[in-house]
Amino acid sequence: MIGNLDVVTMELQLAWRNIWRNPRRTAVILTAVIIGVWSMVGLGALMRGILIGMIQNNIDTLTGHIQIHQQAYPDDPAIEHSISDPETWMSAARDALPAGSRWSQRIRIGAVVSNARHTRGAILMGIDPAAEARLSFIGTAVTEGAYLADGDTGGILIGRALAQQFDTRLGRKLILTAQDSDGEIVSRAFRIRGIYQAEMADTEKGFLFVNRQSAQQLLKLGNRISEIAIRLPAHEMAVPVANDLKARLAGSPLRVRAWPEILPLLKAYVEMFDTFILIWFIVVFVAMGFGILNTTLMAVFERMREFGVLKALGMRPGRIVRGVLLETLLMLVLGIGAGNLLGLATCWGLSITGIDLSAMAEGVAYAGMARIITPVVWIRDLLRANLVVLLLGLLVCLYPAIKAARMTPVAAMRHH
Amino acid sequence: MGTIVECNGVSKSYRQGKLVVPALAEIDLCVEAGGFMALAGPSGSGKTTLLNLIGGLDDADSGTIRVDGREYARQSKAQLADLRLHRIGFVFQAYNLIPVLSALENVEYVMLLQGVAARERRRRAREVLAVVGLEGMAHRRPAELSGGQQQRVAVARAIVSNPSIVLADEPTANLDSKTGEGLLHLMQRMNSDRGVTFIFSTHDEMVMAYARRIVQIRDGRIADDLHKASEHR
Amino acid sequence: MKHGRILGMICLIFTVLAAPTSLFAASAAIDPAALVAAGFDHYRGTASISRVEMRIQRPTWQRTMRMQAWTRGTSESLIRITAPAKDVGNGTLKRGKEMWTYNPKVNRVLKLPPALMSQSWMGSDFSNNDLAKSDSILNDYVHTLTGTENQGEHTIYRIESTPKADAPVVWGLQRLRIRDDHVILSQEFFDEELVSVKKMTAHEIQLMGGRIFPKVWKMRETGKTEQYTQLTYLELTFQDTLPDRTFTRNALIHGGR
Ligand SMILES: Nc1ncnc2c1ncn2[C@@H]1O[C@H](COP(=O)(O)OP(=O)(O)OP(=O)(O)O)[C@@H](O)[C@H]1O
Ligand SMILES: [Mg+2]
Repeated sequence: MIGNLDVVTMELQLAWRNIWRNPRRTAVILTAVIIGVWSMVGLGALMRGILIGMIQNNIDTLTGHIQIHQQAYPDDPAIEHSISDPETWMSAARDALPAGSRWSQRIRIGAVVSNARHTRGAILMGIDPAAEARLSFIGTAVTEGAYLADGDTGGILIGRALAQQFDTRLGRKLILTAQDSDGEIVSRAFRIRGIYQAEMADTEKGFLFVNRQSAQQLLKLGNRISEIAIRLPAHEMAVPVANDLKARLAGSPLRVRAWPEILPLLKAYVEMFDTFILIWFIVVFVAMGFGILNTTLMAVFERMREFGVLKALGMRPGRIVRGVLLETLLMLVLGIGAGNLLGLATCWGLSITGIDLSAMAEGVAYAGMARIITPVVWIRDLLRANLVVLLLGLLVCLYPAIKAARMTPVAAMRHH
Repeated sequence: MGTIVECNGVSKSYRQGKLVVPALAEIDLCVEAGGFMALAGPSGSGKTTLLNLIGGLDDADSGTIRVDGREYARQSKAQLADLRLHRIGFVFQAYNLIPVLSALENVEYVMLLQGVAARERRRRAREVLAVVGLEGMAHRRPAELSGGQQQRVAVARAIVSNPSIVLADEPTANLDSKTGEGLLHLMQRMNSDRGVTFIFSTHDEMVMAYARRIVQIRDGRIADDLHKASEHR
Repeated sequence: MKHGRILGMICLIFTVLAAPTSLFAASAAIDPAALVAAGFDHYRGTASISRVEMRIQRPTWQRTMRMQAWTRGTSESLIRITAPAKDVGNGTLKRGKEMWTYNPKVNRVLKLPPALMSQSWMGSDFSNNDLAKSDSILNDYVHTLTGTENQGEHTIYRIESTPKADAPVVWGLQRLRIRDDHVILSQEFFDEELVSVKKMTAHEIQLMGGRIFPKVWKMRETGKTEQYTQLTYLELTFQDTLPDRTFTRNALIHGGR
């Protein structure tokens, strides 16, 4: 037992010297591993960044972590499926929300917006300006004009893309047309108070913001609302808190949904990305693995005589396998270490400014991605990349190692 | 002391494509523990082959080989390896040192495999290197040593693990006669001081002169087995 | 697409056809608001049956459709396409603010949601939204007389209509030319920057079904000469009333009368 640690040091030393016997070959393996790990870490972080950007984006863009609607609203967001008496429900739900949660009441109804030359469908958001500002992107998104003031019943906020499409500007009039709670078609003029920018052009075109009271008045809703949106201090809380809310509001005409339920596509994306990242890791590895196998095979065959001697000296076959694997392990650890450093450095470099995708904003918006991507390094991805390389790398080298161990000493010594 | 090596009807042939080259045929040989024996015979007669079989480095086609009473055919690869590690020392025709290790480390390595503690290892390795007259070269790598020096390191490596038997395949073939004689004296000393059995092959008359028993091989068969009377003990 | 196309016609015909009324004697008092009211009242009234041809003219193509229309008052109407063959049987029914369409190929009656009702018709020069709300000119605007001109024995009044503050209308200004016998000769629409957007003109004014009525209506987007939409009345009769069953879903599916 005393000798154990010292056997390990000696073996490590031997392995270390062995890998530098042919520096060129070792450099080739190291380069392959470094590039492989670097791309795994870098691209993994990039994909993670895209994904988190997408989630963040969607949560910011009016989804929030949890939404409460009237039972039928999610399947048919019609005006008749509004929540009556929202304050009562809100006070019932409030206890379930962790400290730091924010919520707001909204009207969210399909409407038609038009001016003299243009008409399009959009979603009319009736918001409480102060509460909404703490919840969704709109509070900080107005780049021209001003955010909605409380009590400004005639003002409207529109997105930059809509303003461009409609050829309109601050102070101009827009006509909103919608069906009120009696099924009547109603119209009203609003003046543009502010123009906002969002991550996605679709958002900018699709959402119009007015004061909740104006929307309720126009649509003859009284104090009824379409939804309560809740933002929690952390993404992970969404599902458990939503479950708690569901339990508390059981039997009510309300339906509680957490974001994965509201955005099943996004949830599917998240899962798909996870698999995709793993597949990417394996693809990179396969490319890298052939290189490692090839070089290790060469290294082993080149030293077959030596293995023969070692066997003649009484080295057990298992120990020969261990020796070869130890050499591989050393190289892998070196390569992985450098690859990680390089990858992390790249991510760090890229995260200073982020990667601006607005040049291809159209396609990007289609996928629901953010305009600016910041790589995000997840320990789990990092471990996964490293484990993939390490384990599969060792596995690949098992073949030459066993081959060396299997030969009789004489055959090995005769090998050239 | 009893028999340490026992070969009964050992045959071995090599396959070269379709051609079967017989190397050893029906060898019966017993070697006493503590013996100092030369295997002699012309080139290609089968000396190396026999030494390899005795050392368990290769498998015989037929016949049985026992070393220390253990029959090789019944041992697993790991057991054979352990047997070599603890009981047998090798000196090869070409020195076959490990190039990345220094002379000292080459000698130490066998003990490392045996599980000898580091200090003990170091001490014994230095001691044995001194015995072969290389105390000043302990930290040189094989490439930095002459052929004779390398061969001496190989001998040191073979005896440092306190084997009961050392198999040396033409240990002096690459040495000048003076160095060769030095090596033989060293081996003789090991044999008399520690009782290590030596079997070495050679076709050098001078080397044979040191042996107490000379087994002549010709065409894979034992042609002559000469026990010298001058055996002391 | 089909919805939009048919929808466009319907709205058009609602405006245009919303049943004319008896001629008032030309009033001597020149109150511009009253003039506009009289002009629009000229086309309102009890009930009408007509056959109309609609032509959409574009630089590289044109499309013509024919339809039969029944109207009663300002809020009820039924329209069925009679040509081209592939569209025959398509129809639309309007009652109050509700609208239904029927497509014989899918054999279904569909009630139009507000978004679809206020959509503009692809390829047409009419904005449905605007046309469907023809009352708007009377309620949401302030009118000023800017001049008169003479045309034969007729006097033509030029009127500028400016929307009242916060009126739910998209136009920044409308200019009307109304003849002293209350025939509206033209109506031009301007955006908020007071740039002309489009103009509707009346042609071939003649006695139709017993009233002075423009046989041809043209809507043209400003600045586009090769491009317009034209309605031609092939037949027009006025009646005191039409039976209730003309404006039912059954009539929409199986034809009017
Ligand atoms: N791997 C092999 N393949 C084919 N034939 C072999 C092989 N090894 C040895 N032989 C043949 O077996 C016979 C015995 O060879 P061996 O090496 O034992 O001779 P040796 O007595 O050691 O000769 P030397 O004195 O030249 O070393 C020779 O005929 C040789 O050609
Ligand atoms: Mg030989």
